Amino acid sequence: MTSIGTGYDLANSIFSPDGRNFQVEYAVKAVENGSTSIGIRCKDGVVLAAEKVITSKLLKQGANKRIATVDRHLGIVYSGMIPDGRHFVDRARDEARGWRDNYKTPISTKDLAGRMGGYMQAYTLYQSVRPFGITAIIGGYDSELETPVDGEVGSGPSVGAGGKVEGKKHGGPFLYMVEPSGLYWGYYGAATGKGRQAAKAELEKLDLSGDGESTGLTLEEAVKEAARIIYVAHDDNKDREFELEMTWISGADGPTKGRHLEVPETLRKEAEKYAERMTAKDVEDEEETKEGGDKMEE
Amino acid sequence: MFRNNYDNDSVTFSPQGRIFQVEYAAEAVKQGSVVVGIASKTHAVLVAIKRNAEELSSYQKKLFPIDEHVGIAIAGLTSDARVLSNFMKQQCLGHRLTYGRNMPVRTLVDMIGSKAQINTQHYGKRPYGVGLLVAGVDDHGPHLFEFQPSGMTEEMVAFAIGARSQMARTYLEKNLDAFADCGREELIRHGLKALKESLVQDRELTIDNTSVAIVGVEKQEDGTTKPQPFKVYDGQDVSAWIESVADNAEAAPATAEGEGMDVDS
Repeated sequence: MTSIGTGYDLANSIFSPDGRNFQVEYAVKAVENGSTSIGIRCKDGVVLAAEKVITSKLLKQGANKRIATVDRHLGIVYSGMIPDGRHFVDRARDEARGWRDNYKTPISTKDLAGRMGGYMQAYTLYQSVRPFGITAIIGGYDSELETPVDGEVGSGPSVGAGGKVEGKKHGGPFLYMVEPSGLYWGYYGAATGKGRQAAKAELEKLDLSGDGESTGLTLEEAVKEAARIIYVAHDDNKDREFELEMTWISGADGPTKGRHLEVPETLRKEAEKYAERMTAKDVEDEEETKEGGDKMEE
Repeated sequence: MFRNNYDNDSVTFSPQGRIFQVEYAAEAVKQGSVVVGIASKTHAVLVAIKRNAEELSSYQKKLFPIDEHVGIAIAGLTSDARVLSNFMKQQCLGHRLTYGRNMPVRTLVDMIGSKAQINTQHYGKRPYGVGLLVAGVDDHGPHLFEFQPSGMTEEMVAFAIGARSQMARTYLEKNLDAFADCGREELIRHGLKALKESLVQDRELTIDNTSVAIVGVEKQEDGTTKPQPFKVYDGQDVSAWIESVADNAEAAPATAEGEGMDVDS
């Protein structure tokens, strides 16, 4: 333990002479040791997936959920210190409820990400607290429908500030990732935790942006890919068994009717089979190339 | 000499992203005497070894009722457990007042989880130095949860915490598949056998140092189920169970005995 932070890393909210906040960087380390979580945004929805490493045979199977519902259209998955994640989710639920109370309408994914980013950031400002040891992925589907506001009187202004713009679309699937520093970005595909590097590499291969002529992945395809990516990301520590947990959110006309729900068991099983088949194939391919290489040497 | 600078409080991460104060609190759990919990489809049981400070003193209680349908087993700092216990009692009572029914066990456990997490993130606070096993029944049947000082809570099929609890956990892992279909008597016997695994050499279960608690749902004759409230048994009430798992309960060799008893029960 050589002087990594040379004294500037012993308390939160302290800048080192070169402008770093070491405690926040160490919090990121806690995330990097945690189990893998990913999120995929496609045209017709969002998929969240978590790898749950089974630390003991005595754990009740399928009972300990890691992906939380924050509002009917919002889900959060996190990597790192699980109790911190629970606290984060509690706060997110408070924000979502508070928003509904104030504005009589559900919070948008973007606004929730903003609120939660601010909350995380506040924990980097004071010596009296420590940063969150988690990175959270927030997925949501904001309604595209013309939703009447609860208790609305009249129809609101038709022009000017707060008025409607002809032909402008709103709502849709969104995905954000919040880091311990409070920094957050919107993503097409997000990954965090131990297997994030492998997962990111796989996410980048997917057609998620829907640019150009391609229509991009469908939600069901995204579920299968999410399962596969978790399997691939787990590959490094193969000896430890894991459970796969997946949730999804579609639009009002999709399979979840705009809600954040657990992926149905039949589809999850199907996705897991696909994941197993694909990862097994990868290993075979590798071995083939290796054998080929040996022969060449001979 | 090497000194760890990162372990003075619970608001400082080590360069590896660990919080030592929380890890040390988890060590306090291992200082407490062992408690075991098992859940089946119909019951959840808690069994514990009680310790006394000296020969003539009384034994420290290990099992506490929280509400009609929930109870806890503790390992670690008893006074911290009392704080959590009082909190849980209040929450259960409040829930019953507002909603007119028992609090779901998971909801209750999540509440102490959140409470404990706050102590790991704020300066001037310390993590709770106690681990809990929470057993209870709700609309979804019996449950068993483990609570750690970090605020981590997980639902288990069976678990053991406290001093030398690894031995008990090994026993539980070995018999894991049997638990789901066990009745209350079998479940208690499994619990006591697991407890015995963790006992120090030449110590044994006595009516003074053993506590048993049960909660569950009992099938009625008309097919309906009736909740069986959380009840703690001490002293003379546990003697029959202790005898039933005694080494000389059957005059068979130690190795064959375990198997024989499983078949009998």
